[in-house]
Amino acid sequence: MRWSRFLLAALLSPLFLLPVSQVSSQSKPFVHKKRYAMGTVFEIVAYNDSVARASSAIDRALDEVVRLDKVMSNFMPESDLSSMNREAHFHVVRIPPDLYKVIETSLGYSRFSDGAFDVSVGPLVDLWKAALAGGAPPTAAELARARTCVGYEKIVLMAPDQIEFRSDCMRLDLGSIGKGYAVDRAMETLISNGIEQAYINAGGSTIYGMSAPPDHDGWLVHLRDPSNRLDPQVNLKSNSVSTSEQTAASLLEGDAPGHIVEPASGRPLHTEYAVSVTARSATASDALSTTLLLLGPVKGVALVARLKDVSAIWISADGRKTIAGSETAIFVIPDSGSPATAATVKSTGRRRENKQ
Amino acid sequence: MLLRTCAYLWLAAVGLSVEPAAGDVLLRVTPGPLPTAKAIGVSDIVMRWPVPETAELTKLRVLGFRLFLEAGSSDLAAAAGAAERAEAAGVIIDSKGSDSAANGELLRSSKVAHPKLVFRFLIPGGKQPQMKGRLVVEREGILQVSSPSSQPWLDTNLALAKLAETFHPDAMPVLYDFQWDLSDSLHKQLGPSVDEYALAIAEADAIRADAVLDFPEPLQKALAADQSDAWALWDQVKRYIAFSPRVPSEEIQSIANMGVVTSDEQANYEAANLLARHNLAFENIRPQDLTAQRLNAWNAVVVFCSLRSADIDLLNDFVKRGAIVVLVNQRGEYPWHVNAPIRHDSHSATFNVGSGQVVELGEPVTDPEQFARDLRRLIGPERSAVGLWNSPTTLVTAYRQGPGDETVLNVINYADVPENVQVQIRGRFTSIQLESPEEGCCRALQAVSRGSFTEFTIPRLVIAARVRLKVADNRGANP
Repeated sequence: MRWSRFLLAALLSPLFLLPVSQVSSQSKPFVHKKRYAMGTVFEIVAYNDSVARASSAIDRALDEVVRLDKVMSNFMPESDLSSMNREAHFHVVRIPPDLYKVIETSLGYSRFSDGAFDVSVGPLVDLWKAALAGGAPPTAAELARARTCVGYEKIVLMAPDQIEFRSDCMRLDLGSIGKGYAVDRAMETLISNGIEQAYINAGGSTIYGMSAPPDHDGWLVHLRDPSNRLDPQVNLKSNSVSTSEQTAASLLEGDAPGHIVEPASGRPLHTEYAVSVTARSATASDALSTTLLLLGPVKGVALVARLKDVSAIWISADGRKTIAGSETAIFVIPDSGSPATAATVKSTGRRRENKQ
Repeated sequence: MLLRTCAYLWLAAVGLSVEPAAGDVLLRVTPGPLPTAKAIGVSDIVMRWPVPETAELTKLRVLGFRLFLEAGSSDLAAAAGAAERAEAAGVIIDSKGSDSAANGELLRSSKVAHPKLVFRFLIPGGKQPQMKGRLVVEREGILQVSSPSSQPWLDTNLALAKLAETFHPDAMPVLYDFQWDLSDSLHKQLGPSVDEYALAIAEADAIRADAVLDFPEPLQKALAADQSDAWALWDQVKRYIAFSPRVPSEEIQSIANMGVVTSDEQANYEAANLLARHNLAFENIRPQDLTAQRLNAWNAVVVFCSLRSADIDLLNDFVKRGAIVVLVNQRGEYPWHVNAPIRHDSHSATFNVGSGQVVELGEPVTDPEQFARDLRRLIGPERSAVGLWNSPTTLVTAYRQGPGDETVLNVINYADVPENVQVQIRGRFTSIQLESPEEGCCRALQAVSRGSFTEFTIPRLVIAARVRLKVADNRGANP
């Protein structure tokens, strides 16, 4: 906030308060705040008997997200990630602990998925951006050149805080894991400030529910459903859900190539699915949602089976669904064939957008 | 006595013109004590009908206020009578549920019956301007819709104002209101924040409309009781009120490169809303108002309704000159069908016509967000009168105003985070001056000329800024 919530404590004077009846409409007060960071809206809801404590804790958690944006942003030339991307080609550089940890975790998912998840895919994505904006697709020569810049095996980490790229054109993009990491750090900030019931939403793609709201058994989340028939839901309780989907085709100009590129082929992913993944941490659900979208339900089910506390649901445009994982009952589909609730769609006021 | 003298001086200072100016803020107050108009920085206040006895109302004039009574059409006669007796400035008619023709007649008859009063219509459908996420708080629980990451959603009244200008010409300048979103406990205790007031005030100025803001009763009482904390809040809000220049609406001309032809204010609201949200500079027009002269001002047109054959011919000529026309769900035989489409799929068909292009979308707009993005890509920056980039939480409006045809950009940041806003505007300018509520007036901005465009960056836009551009070659931002 630009101002300190206009002198919160001072303004809680008796004359300035609204009637108590308005405040006590719910048994336990909650505070909802949002802030623009990482190219999207981070929202936090926290319940606490003290509104001032909840407000202050949320502010600190959102401050942490903004701090991490300055570490991991691809758009800020002065970010730590941007500096590393400029300097680490065949050259060992020191990086901040958060950046090191995110890259280390990313490499773990890359190895686990045999390269389906790869934070070094940025040069290929950039190449397809022009086509996504209506331009010509890249040539074979351009693709071949970009592919030499890609490959998680070319990233060398040296504990505790050093990195080197074994490529002269490598560039990392943490868009598929950074928001999840920020959600986890924000949640830790809330806990350390005395909050026990909260949830954090990173632009709709990753959501963490801490404990449950009062008088509820979890935080109700309606999941993305490309068919608009199933209304799949999940009740979050000390876990996270992330969703991935390829860019939708253009209405006016025919098919667009899409923003998610397969590292193996170097080409935009063609898929009819959206996938939602639950996990104990937002970092895990964020990284796995992209991975499982790229793998698709056939290969994805096998990968999920090797993971603890992870479940996934793939839904196709024609309403087919595949559920996998250790807690498949976590996904609830009220009545097969029923449309998404009108209240939900109407009140959010928007349609699908795509993971950036 | 001193108070009264000060109040009259304040009235003289703010200029007691009878007709309101665009970009004004009116406060909806509750009966009870109020500070002076000068102290609050707002001269126009609104009270909902029924109101207390006339003697109470006349005291408000002494405090320097211009009072408007607000009533539905069924209470209009009684409210107008009371307003006249109290020597109020006028009556605001809550026009919910009435059609524009009936409203126009009501306005005319009311003015005849009460010539000393100003009558204004409150356009329904306003919403609190804000950046939103995807969270929905519903009664006892919280709903959340997960999806791939989305850009911030902006709740804005820009489309509402643009549509009202077209469909309620009797109600100019546009007057709207909204309910403050006070859903969480913090808001319920404290009411709107400085940021929220500031954004609402700045948006009304940017869209050249007048906004009625609810003045929470606790704040009103706290200010009247001279509580320092309340004044600390309101003094910050006053900077934004003072920033609005209150330009008479007849002196302002909107800059747009696209026309949106629609016959139904409601049916195409969401599409217009998304065009506005994506900073497409457009004007709404009813089909009967489509002329060659209007088309000359644009290089793109979106059609949401059926047109007469003469209008189709106008559009055909328009496209031949290099323009883009998008027909939405308007199946028929058109002159450009003599050529085969250059692209055809289940959604759309595209035809080259002269040096321009026609796209026929074969279905209604079911996804306004995607439609707006597609349209922005189709039109491209080279056809845009004004555009922003890397600023997903910012809206821009462009006007030409004053005798010197000065170009004015109003830029509004709906996020809580200051942004560097990169601007591209058609035309070449000798002077670019930035002013803002935070830093005042004026700061020269460095610009770069690229072809027929000028580019510059607004540093650290907090909530609102105004950029005044002087034209070098008198072509300004015409497309």
